Amino acid sequence: MSENPPVIYAQDLVKQFGSVRALDNLSLSIAPGEVHGFLGPNGSGKSTTMRVLLGLLRPDSGTVNLFGRDPWRDAVELHKRLAYVPGDVELWPNLTGGEVIDMFLRLRGSYNRSRRDELIERFDLDPRKKTRTYSKGNRQKVALISALAADVDLLLLDEPTAGLDPLMEVVFQQVIKEAASNGHSVLLSSHILAQVEALSDRISIIRAGHIVESGTLSELRHMTRTTIEAETAQPAGFLGELDGVHDARSEGERTVFEVDGEHVQQVMDRLAPLGIRSIVAHPPTLEQLLMRHYGDDLHGRGVEDATAKKVS
Amino acid sequence: MSSTATVSARHAPSPEASESTLHDTWTLLRFMLRRDRIRLTLWVLGIGVMAFYFANAIQGIAEDEAELAQMAGMFTDPVGRLMTGPAFGMDEPTFERFFSAGYVLFIYILIALMSVFTLVRHTRAEEQTGRAELVRANVVGRHATLTAALLLVAAANAATAVLVCLAALVGGFDPAGTVLVAAAGAGVGLFFSGAAAITAQLSESSRGASGMAGGLIGLSYVIRMGGDMAEQGGNALSWFSPLGWSQQTAPYVEDRWGPVLLLIGGAALLVLLGYWLSTKRDVGASLMPTRPGRRDARPALGTPVGVAARVLRGGLRAWGIALVLSGMMFGGYAQALVDAAGDLPEEFAQIFTGESIMLGYMACMAVFMALFTAAAGVSALTQMRGEEVRGRAELTLSAPVGRTGWLAAHLSVLLVGLALILVLVGLGTAAAAVAVLEDDGDYFGELLLATIHQGPAVLAVVGIVVALFGWFPRAASLVGWLIIGYCAFMTNFGRLLEVPELMHDANLFGHLAEYPVEEVSWTPVLVLTGLGLVGILIGFVGWNRREINRA
Repeated sequence: MSENPPVIYAQDLVKQFGSVRALDNLSLSIAPGEVHGFLGPNGSGKSTTMRVLLGLLRPDSGTVNLFGRDPWRDAVELHKRLAYVPGDVELWPNLTGGEVIDMFLRLRGSYNRSRRDELIERFDLDPRKKTRTYSKGNRQKVALISALAADVDLLLLDEPTAGLDPLMEVVFQQVIKEAASNGHSVLLSSHILAQVEALSDRISIIRAGHIVESGTLSELRHMTRTTIEAETAQPAGFLGELDGVHDARSEGERTVFEVDGEHVQQVMDRLAPLGIRSIVAHPPTLEQLLMRHYGDDLHGRGVEDATAKKVS
Repeated sequence: MSSTATVSARHAPSPEASESTLHDTWTLLRFMLRRDRIRLTLWVLGIGVMAFYFANAIQGIAEDEAELAQMAGMFTDPVGRLMTGPAFGMDEPTFERFFSAGYVLFIYILIALMSVFTLVRHTRAEEQTGRAELVRANVVGRHATLTAALLLVAAANAATAVLVCLAALVGGFDPAGTVLVAAAGAGVGLFFSGAAAITAQLSESSRGASGMAGGLIGLSYVIRMGGDMAEQGGNALSWFSPLGWSQQTAPYVEDRWGPVLLLIGGAALLVLLGYWLSTKRDVGASLMPTRPGRRDARPALGTPVGVAARVLRGGLRAWGIALVLSGMMFGGYAQALVDAAGDLPEEFAQIFTGESIMLGYMACMAVFMALFTAAAGVSALTQMRGEEVRGRAELTLSAPVGRTGWLAAHLSVLLVGLALILVLVGLGTAAAAVAVLEDDGDYFGELLLATIHQGPAVLAVVGIVVALFGWFPRAASLVGWLIIGYCAFMTNFGRLLEVPELMHDANLFGHLAEYPVEEVSWTPVLVLTGLGLVGILIGFVGWNRREINRA
């Protein structure tokens, strides 16, 4: 895809905790300047991957490097070029938010003071409060601001918006878009498809420690299936027979069905003349998506065949 | 339809409105009892066992009351009164008077702490975590939580009072005075739970609320120190302190009940004030605005050492203050020891060896202080493991801070802190001793060195725990505390036990020379220092090789 060496390169990573196989031949590659969505349900190995990339954990087997270097051996050198936001941010209770942000920025070396103040403003954080009194969302803001104000090439963000309210989520998306347009690479993990969709150039879906799908959004379009609920003046029951429409149910004027991403246009063309009184469309959740594609196969290993079939 | 009517009738303002502010108090109380069934039982039993020990151990120290009279100086001299209280009835000491003059105050302080912690735990801490909101969203009266918490504390105080009473009765003490001792204890508990009922309204954090109420306990201790030191029986100043009131009951001597009424009346006033204040605020809010902290960090915080200092300094400071005060107290007994040297019972002479019983005592105290300093070290290392498990070390390490740098920063803060504690304790002990000693001998340097000389033993403990932190982090803290416990036990009782030599050798605190009674011997100094340094080195190797754990 690009001649530049990847920022993150992982091949066949395996990590075992006791009897639990947290990473199961995980492979991942992220190009410079790319925002990569890392999507998976809770406990699928996202955080473990992040911690391997940070050199906090050592994989049992497989190859991993960042900027061409070993994250375990060259941790200090690499960490000058990256910043990390954990999913579950724990801060020092007796420090204020402002102190924690400064502390991290100073540990990283030079930083831009006005950038820090601007981010504090945009995220609407009170930096004078002790972190003991912060909510989860505010602790997350502290970690985000200290990561985003640092001048680094790579951002590792582990479910960074789990505690943020919708307004702050918008700010977050803007800031990440700015970072991407400045050429930063981002690995953004999440279990919410819509969030990753809005920001990512490419997406990898992890399940039980293994990447089951990886590609650009349009490459993954076949996986997205929208749920539509419509109230129409004329009966819409026949929609169920169209290509790409699934699970259609009608009840009086109300019809509910699911439609594959690539067939939305045709279905809407047929729906519009029926006199739409109201319409609601839900994007698929990650859980729906995973259930639909891998629902009956609960064993990690079989997943590979399913992926192979899809791709071919 | 009819069911709707019933529901709305229940919620409409009714003649029972005042009762409804207490709605479900009993349910809450049962819930609190369920949550605290182990914690509070341990508090109550612990205090009870302590009372039992005090009441009965005294009778082992002295053969008879004549012998007690020789020891009474311990409590009647100004330093003794400073620490333990007005020393009523020490002109004609009996075992029961010895109990009330010397030991009961510490039982009272524990009861006060139990009351404060329990009350805040069920009020402010619940609001801080947001659990109170969950409870209040149900049909629970406005005052139900505070009332249930107060009832819980009152029940704990009553149970403790009964145990203290039993302990003293088993000791064969006079029943009238014994009931007074127990009642004053319950009174102290109620008074300080009233204080906590107020601070829980004032502060936004449970730490702040406990801290303020705990500070009041400390303040009332200090106020009575002044009064009790000034003259035997205390002066007017003693009457400005709730702890002073509890001692002005003069049990087994004058048996005054007035001060108990003062405690209970004070408690009632404080509780009423607490209720009133609680109506002046919203759930989760506080009456005192939280003081905003710094918007920016000081430059020092931007280094690994700066981070480590912010993490560890609070604990080290608390240990340091407690140890320096204890050192000064032990030092302050020096003259009393010299005076009593001739008449001390056989048991004491056995423990304090040497030509000068005073110097023997000081050598012994130096070991105790070193044990506690090592405990401060283990506590700090436990905290470091907590940093790792809670994910804060991970955050620091995600910045360009290496593992060696992280551990080196924390250990340098820790070792400098422990060294400082030892030096300050030595200075405090020496200064207090020199101040009270009538003999003009040049003891200051010797006494200071006695404490500093224990440094290698402290370093050895730190080294062992650091080695474990590097290789077997899960065991490190536990083993550390076991080492402290074992060494403390062997130091206290080892000489009286007939055990294999190996068990004596395993006591890290048993090898250094008993300076100033003996000359400093360099072999144990070097061996213990070496053990400590090698342990630290091994710890670094392990820490660099192992993974960072996260709970």
